Amino acid sequence: MKKIPQVMSALGAAVATALVAMAADAAVLPTTQTDSSWYQDGAAAVAAKVAQARNTGTAKNIIFFVGDGMGVSTLTAARIYQGQQAGNSGEENRLSFETFPYSALSKTYSVNQQTPDSAPTMTAMITGVKTEDGMLSVSADSIRGNCLSSQGNELKTALELAEDRGKSTGIVSTARITHATPAATYAHTPERDWEADSNLTAEAVANGCHDIAYQLVMDAPGDGLEVALGGGRSYFLPNTVTDGEGAKGRRKDGNDLTAKWSEQFTNAAYVWNQAQFDAIDVTKTDHLLGLFEASHMQYEADRADDTAGEPSLAEMTSKAIDMLAKNDKGYFLMVEGGRIDHAHHAGNAARALADTVALSDAVKAALGKVDLEDTLIIVSADHSHTFTIAGYPARGNPILGLVHEPNDEAIAVNAATADDGLPYTTLGYANGPGAKQGARSDLSGIDTTDVDFLQQAQVPMGSETHAAEDVAIYATGPGAYLFQGNVEQNVIFHVMNQAGALGGSKY
Amino acid sequence: MFYKALMLLALGSLSAHGASVCPATAPAGAWGLEYQVSASQSGAEPRQVQLLRRGAQTALYSPEHQMAEWWHFEDPKRPGFSRVFDQQQRRIDYYMGDLRALGVQAQQEEVESFAARHLLGQLTKQGSSPCEHAERYQGEINGVSYDLLWSPVLAAPLAIVTRKGEVERRWQADKLLGKDAVNARFATWQRYRETDFADIGDMENDPFLAKMINQGFIEHREHAVYNDQGQPLATGHSH
Repeated sequence: MKKIPQVMSALGAAVATALVAMAADAAVLPTTQTDSSWYQDGAAAVAAKVAQARNTGTAKNIIFFVGDGMGVSTLTAARIYQGQQAGNSGEENRLSFETFPYSALSKTYSVNQQTPDSAPTMTAMITGVKTEDGMLSVSADSIRGNCLSSQGNELKTALELAEDRGKSTGIVSTARITHATPAATYAHTPERDWEADSNLTAEAVANGCHDIAYQLVMDAPGDGLEVALGGGRSYFLPNTVTDGEGAKGRRKDGNDLTAKWSEQFTNAAYVWNQAQFDAIDVTKTDHLLGLFEASHMQYEADRADDTAGEPSLAEMTSKAIDMLAKNDKGYFLMVEGGRIDHAHHAGNAARALADTVALSDAVKAALGKVDLEDTLIIVSADHSHTFTIAGYPARGNPILGLVHEPNDEAIAVNAATADDGLPYTTLGYANGPGAKQGARSDLSGIDTTDVDFLQQAQVPMGSETHAAEDVAIYATGPGAYLFQGNVEQNVIFHVMNQAGALGGSKY
Repeated sequence: MFYKALMLLALGSLSAHGASVCPATAPAGAWGLEYQVSASQSGAEPRQVQLLRRGAQTALYSPEHQMAEWWHFEDPKRPGFSRVFDQQQRRIDYYMGDLRALGVQAQQEEVESFAARHLLGQLTKQGSSPCEHAERYQGEINGVSYDLLWSPVLAAPLAIVTRKGEVERRWQADKLLGKDAVNARFATWQRYRETDFADIGDMENDPFLAKMINQGFIEHREHAVYNDQGQPLATGHSH
């Protein structure tokens, strides 16, 4: 990772400040306290904050990471999960972006729903305007699913502003790149489900609305996105075509948008498997489209088992930055950990946590490639899930395991039991497929750490739901200091606009 | 003694009806078996369920509910699965990752055999059969007595009678469906509006999917001889 000059220059002062503070404390505090590593680490953390200089410069580059469905409880559990995977107790671990100097909480409600979906939340983050559920980068004056009502209500996105400024742009997702979160960066539609032309209504066709995949390739902003990597191949292929992994295309209009991509843009390439992805020479490619699955990409936990192989989120992020960094004017890149949400919907915590760690790895990969002096990195989520971390498990208790309370004699043997006399896991869901009608299942003898285990839930539902509480924002680089306290989700756009001088408005 | 008498009654029933469908060869291309499913429990009405086969595709269809569970085993290690809803003309497609995330582990030969393949190795083959082209197996597994009429050419059961205590369940094939009917049904399902299972949680605005989210998927277990984890009901354990 490249260094932040003003922070480094302040480091000596920070250490000195910490030592002075500790010396002063020593006069009133017992050495038992001041000698404690907890105490000293805490003092050092405060000293670093005191010494921290605001980077008020302009962000030439902006990288915006979105963990779809990555609520605060998901971050905590993933942090512990990653730490325990490394052989540690886990709680002390930090995901890569949890070391960022600035953070805030984001209110995620949409114009019409207390608990939103990804469409209005990403619209808020990428345009600065909250809208209604299901709609992508069109205002709430539109009616969901009505093409005509959306016309004239399109909202310009940060990605489009970056294109206008001559910057390079890219999107990366483990979900379909026509899915709500990535789509909101480049498409404008009153219905998130219009991913291929076969999803359009007669009204939409009659009034000239284009599907999301078509918009990415044929209605692209500026000189077109330089990078688009993720899943969703079938939405780009005609329904007469079977792709390399045996899936049929979904387009009725006969358009092969993967071919159009190469026709539409200069030095363009299309790849659909790991080998082709690895073979891309970024110095000779200016527009890269990678579609690695017919629908969403594999969960990180299953990725190694993919038929044709597919890159990790970190690999896609890394190559995207290599592609985009060729532009002296800078770039805007959106990276989505798209499958955290899906694993939660399935009530399957292990896969959700593995994909959260994959997002953390992608952030780490980005940190290794950029200069934080001129690159703003933001990590946030669109919404949360009904995911909980509960009970009183001992420190280091396996995060996917049954709750063992911190009783030295019993921890290795007996799981804690609830009022029904049955053991329970630390992780659970308020609703979802893991719930049973009637009594809870007895988990004694069940390997709850198995990647396929469904955590128990309270309310039985076919699919676990989103949740309405705030999500976190982490930021570093120019303008990152603007994230403080509790903000409306649409403030994220305004920070990007301000820090990146994207020209959306003057501040 | 009472148990033995009931067993004899059950076996007698199988003998009487076991030969209504008993093909000497498997129809080319696609075929199906229509089963009458019944249970001795009070209030349990006889129902139909169809086993539809075409190459690596197998579907279990409930005409009463107009719903199907449709498996694709072109790549046996990575099966595809769809729930089909005829009335709404909708299909929910599950990719491998979805099945794994839900803990569903389906065995191809169990699905293709109406979940009866696992029984063959555990039951005793009988010397005689009510059908010239079928084999008969009997025995008891985990307290459940079985009488199975197996068609080697179809690799599927023509009849299964199970009994546990006083509850008797029977699956009796009474019609062989031809390739045209099966192909037509698969083609119809292929045209339905499809939704990835992974996307359902984000589509609460769709009334059909909202029902799926709030009420789950209707499992017609009374028809199936495998559970909602894709495992034969007589074996395995799921969490």
